[in-house]
Amino acid sequence: MKKSLAKKLLGTWNTRTIVGVAIGAALFGVLMNYGGIKVTTNTSLTSAYVIPAIVGALFGPLPAALSAGLGNCVADLIGGWGFWFDWSFGNFVTGYFAGLVGAFGADVENGVFTTKHAIIHAVLCIVGCAIGFGLVTPILTYLWYSSELTITWVQAQAAIISDASVLIVVGIPVLYALARRNARGTNLSKED
Amino acid sequence: MDNKLFITLTPGNTFIDRLTGKTKVRIFFLLIFILTFTWDIRIMLPILILSIVSLLSIKPDKKKNVAIIIFVLLMNLFNLFLTWVIKPNYGLEMVGGSTVLFRFTDFFIVTAETLWYFLVRLTKFMASFLLSLAFIQSITPSELAAGLHSVKIPYKICTIVSLAFRYIPDITRDFNNIRISMQTRGLELDSRKSSLFTRLKQYILILVPLIITSFDRVGNIANGMDLRGFGKNRDKTYYCEHEDTQGDKVLAPVVLLLCGILLTLIVLKILYKPLYEVWCPWI
Repeated sequence: MKKSLAKKLLGTWNTRTIVGVAIGAALFGVLMNYGGIKVTTNTSLTSAYVIPAIVGALFGPLPAALSAGLGNCVADLIGGWGFWFDWSFGNFVTGYFAGLVGAFGADVENGVFTTKHAIIHAVLCIVGCAIGFGLVTPILTYLWYSSELTITWVQAQAAIISDASVLIVVGIPVLYALARRNARGTNLSKED
Repeated sequence: MDNKLFITLTPGNTFIDRLTGKTKVRIFFLLIFILTFTWDIRIMLPILILSIVSLLSIKPDKKKNVAIIIFVLLMNLFNLFLTWVIKPNYGLEMVGGSTVLFRFTDFFIVTAETLWYFLVRLTKFMASFLLSLAFIQSITPSELAAGLHSVKIPYKICTIVSLAFRYIPDITRDFNNIRISMQTRGLELDSRKSSLFTRLKQYILILVPLIITSFDRVGNIANGMDLRGFGKNRDKTYYCEHEDTQGDKVLAPVVLLLCGILLTLIVLKILYKPLYEVWCPWI
């Protein structure tokens, strides 16, 4: 079952994907609010960033991006710190990269996740966090609010470090665990 | 955790509750965008008052609301205090002046402009928080989806949003169940009895089952939706979207007015760049 490149980059879109993104966004929102430790203002070492990695591994990168971006909006709505759409877009971009490992051959749904994929995942996460929070968010902050760029820089650095480390330190073991769990039913061969 | 959630699944019976999802969503997002784009207290104060009035008018659960409002207020004040510690003379950048009121050391000074900036920032955050609180308690997930669909957002995205809000209470319930059953098995989550690092490790022990149960549910929900023909047609109507009530007709011009204010703010922001972001009466 070979997937085309477009499918790898956009993810397969069916009802399952929509539900998966929704559940991912809900989990992201809840974990963003209740599953973290504060680092600086508005940034925290939160376990929520595992979610885009999982959604990405199961459904593809665009669903991962959507679940992170919409999840951040959900978190803003139930969290009570006001809306920060610049950060939602940063999360969207980071989520895309965090979910991209499937395009390099990892297939968590069928139990394929090796050390090579773990390394690719780690690199992608660092690059994604750097682009998402180090580039997209400050640019949007500057365009929309045209202020507080110093604080955004401090927050962006904290976000890059904390979110990349969560994606790697928590994300990789969780992906291994999911792959092991899904691998149980894959060693069956068809009898004639 | 469970008593901090405010998602309503049954519509209430007050003026705001009876409005269509369309009106609720439009007014909420316009006000939020206005709050996002402005630092002017003359625009934010009316919105703050409006959100307090609307929050009171939907007759929410008092105990729950007061608890979270106090919590958020304290968190915001703490954030402001941290900002002050990092940059005591922040008012100089944002407001454009530095009238010293009180001096601890040469670095830690209290200026009138910094206090004014903090007041403006508190108004901004509290207004958007109270507005979100009133919004989330007056809208059901389906109404939210219907409202988003009325501003031409593809219905699949609307479904994602409404499903996400629908499943947040379920996820918190699962989280509590897993936490309690893990504690019965001897997991120590009390901060006084175990160190931060052990608590982090134990937290992952809760996280993994939570993620697995949540994503296990995906197949069931997707099958249920497929069986009911979801995604078959290009467009979708919403059962909860009823005809315009009296209130919707009254508020229709208000929506246009808010649109006008938002556009003016954006145009002003592009054309005219003030030297200092925050308006202050004495500068």
